[in-house]
Amino acid sequence: MKKYSLIAAGMFLALAMPGFASANEEHGPALKHAEIDLTDQEQIRRGLTVFTDVCMGCHSAKYVTYKGLMDYPEIGITREQVDELRGSNPLTAGLITELTPEDAKVSYGKVPPDLSLIVNGRRGGASYVYSLMTGFEHDDSGKVPDGNFNEYFPGKRIAMPDPFSWLGHDEADTKQLEQDAADVAAFLAFISDPHQNERQAIGKWVVGFLILLTLVLWRLKVEVWKDVKH
Amino acid sequence: MLDTIMQTKLFAWVDRRTGAADIIKSQLTEYPVPKNLNYMWNFGSLALLVLVLQIVTGIFLAMYYKPSAALTYGGYTVAFDSVERIMRDVNFGWLIRYMHAVGASAFFVVVYMHIGRGLYYGSYKEPRELLWIIGVVILLIMQGSAFFGYLLPWGQMSFWGATVITELFGALPIIGEYLQQLLRGGFAVGDPTLNRFFSLHYLFPLLLAAIVGGHVHALHVVHSNNPEGIDVHSDDQKINFHPYYTIKDAFGVGVFLTIYCYVVFFNPQMAGYFIEVDNYVPANNLQTPAHIAPVWYLTPWYTILRSFESKLLGVIAMGGSLAILFVLPFLDRSKVRSGRYRPMFRLMVVMFFVDVIVLGYCGHSAPSETLKLVGQIATAYYFAFFLLLPFLPMVEKTKPEPEGI
Ligand code: HEC
Repeated sequence: MKKYSLIAAGMFLALAMPGFASANEEHGPALKHAEIDLTDQEQIRRGLTVFTDVCMGCHSAKYVTYKGLMDYPEIGITREQVDELRGSNPLTAGLITELTPEDAKVSYGKVPPDLSLIVNGRRGGASYVYSLMTGFEHDDSGKVPDGNFNEYFPGKRIAMPDPFSWLGHDEADTKQLEQDAADVAAFLAFISDPHQNERQAIGKWVVGFLILLTLVLWRLKVEVWKDVKH
Repeated sequence: MLDTIMQTKLFAWVDRRTGAADIIKSQLTEYPVPKNLNYMWNFGSLALLVLVLQIVTGIFLAMYYKPSAALTYGGYTVAFDSVERIMRDVNFGWLIRYMHAVGASAFFVVVYMHIGRGLYYGSYKEPRELLWIIGVVILLIMQGSAFFGYLLPWGQMSFWGATVITELFGALPIIGEYLQQLLRGGFAVGDPTLNRFFSLHYLFPLLLAAIVGGHVHALHVVHSNNPEGIDVHSDDQKINFHPYYTIKDAFGVGVFLTIYCYVVFFNPQMAGYFIEVDNYVPANNLQTPAHIAPVWYLTPWYTILRSFESKLLGVIAMGGSLAILFVLPFLDRSKVRSGRYRPMFRLMVVMFFVDVIVLGYCGHSAPSETLKLVGQIATAYYFAFFLLLPFLPMVEKTKPEPEGI
């Protein structure tokens, strides 16, 4: 009987299959994989520099404070470096751009989104950010008149001009672009959930302990039940 | 261990004033349970555990959470900011928040298994009808509570989910519009909605706690069903809850906590199934997300809703699909309880489980023509399952049930 149930279930699923397949159609090309390592302090620091030097011209990361840049061990830059970055901003201030929303609207037609949670808030996460950063097309033949054509962006026309527009197409520049894009993706992935490394480190102990506890409970169960006859 | 505690002077003092010893005896150490319960019977105690986890973590979250839709820098709100503060600045706030968010999904996993067990083994049948009905009330309150809770972070999915669902009530005739405004506290989902949802999100679990008490009480009057689905009379077929089932439940708790903690610590968003990607984007009433879908545990009912062209019919069908659970004990007229001895029922109920998964899948995915058709077929089977039950005994040849277990 069990067999028939399984066959019926299988047929039912097979019936539903065409629906399953068609639902997987996603728009846009497959994302490029971002080479990031969230325990690599060097990479996250480089990403921070890209962020403050380039992205912060337009974007904020309001949930990340200057103090956080010192306190998170994954970044851990010195007080002097923080002071240089923050200028007259208080230590507890977030990383906020000087571009006002009004000016942004005038210049780009849109207010650039806050990037604190961008990696959690986009399908594809860090790989999406990486693909977006390396996906701008500059076409000299004029097929794509402006530099705001990006095939990874839904709709392909993005209000953000290529933040790395000064980089050319030769090998060295491409390498540099990929490096910067991966680094900033790593930084953004880190700040989306700044306790993730700590969480996983603690998690290993917690889950390890629970596995042991469960084994003990299982032995106890067997012991208690051994006099129950079936 | 229990014995040593019960022999102390302190216990004697308490016992004289509360009758604690009798309670412990009648409910634990001498509470008889069929000896053949399988591991599907573990999910009841697990549901209780998750309820407690949700209440405890929820109380801590409420100490920092601020239910306000007032705008802050960058298009965020006070509510969204307070959740991020919990995630970033509050000591172990991330742990409490992820425990709560994953706990919501875990609650439904456990409760759906528990309900599925009840269905398969006919645990809703005489004399357990009321026990089942109380259980359905618990399910409805859980779903309501989860829905209210999902609004609180005030992300895109919070906002649009609440907008779509409250709109449903507007589709009802006569009272619809009034009901919708009552729920929203205005014409659109906004600050008043957030405040009342927070209040209700705090209230519902307290109701749950009380009703779960009633559920357990009802259980202890009629006692547990068992995989064979037969009444057990002789004493040698029963064992005491303590220590046999306390230790078995404890082992189940160990397995559950291991999986739960694995998710909490290593994959709390569950690729957008437990916390949707769009909910990391602050609510924006001017920008509808490309695809609005509730969290996975509500998607089967969402598909039933979307299977009808007319909104009113959809709402009625969705309501009906839940309401029909109340009358299940009276629809199923077979005297045999367990699916083990009901070949046709067994086939139908397994297909029903698959059906609900298909419904859930359709509700989760972006709408398409094929999926819509699949959803409609699945919806039809959902109702057919229940409506065929009264007639099943006319054609079904049940297998002989065993004498004992
Ligand atoms: C010149 C201003 C400017 C700079 C510099 C800039 N951006 Fe943007 N960015 C924008 C604007 C404007 C948008 C909104 C695009 C839209 O919605 O069409 C945007 C959008 C984005 C998005 C969201 C895309 C989406 O899916 O909605 C990401 C991610 C992003 N920027 C990353 C970056 C990173 C990383 C940097 C630094 C390397 C950067 N930006 C530098 C202006 C800028």
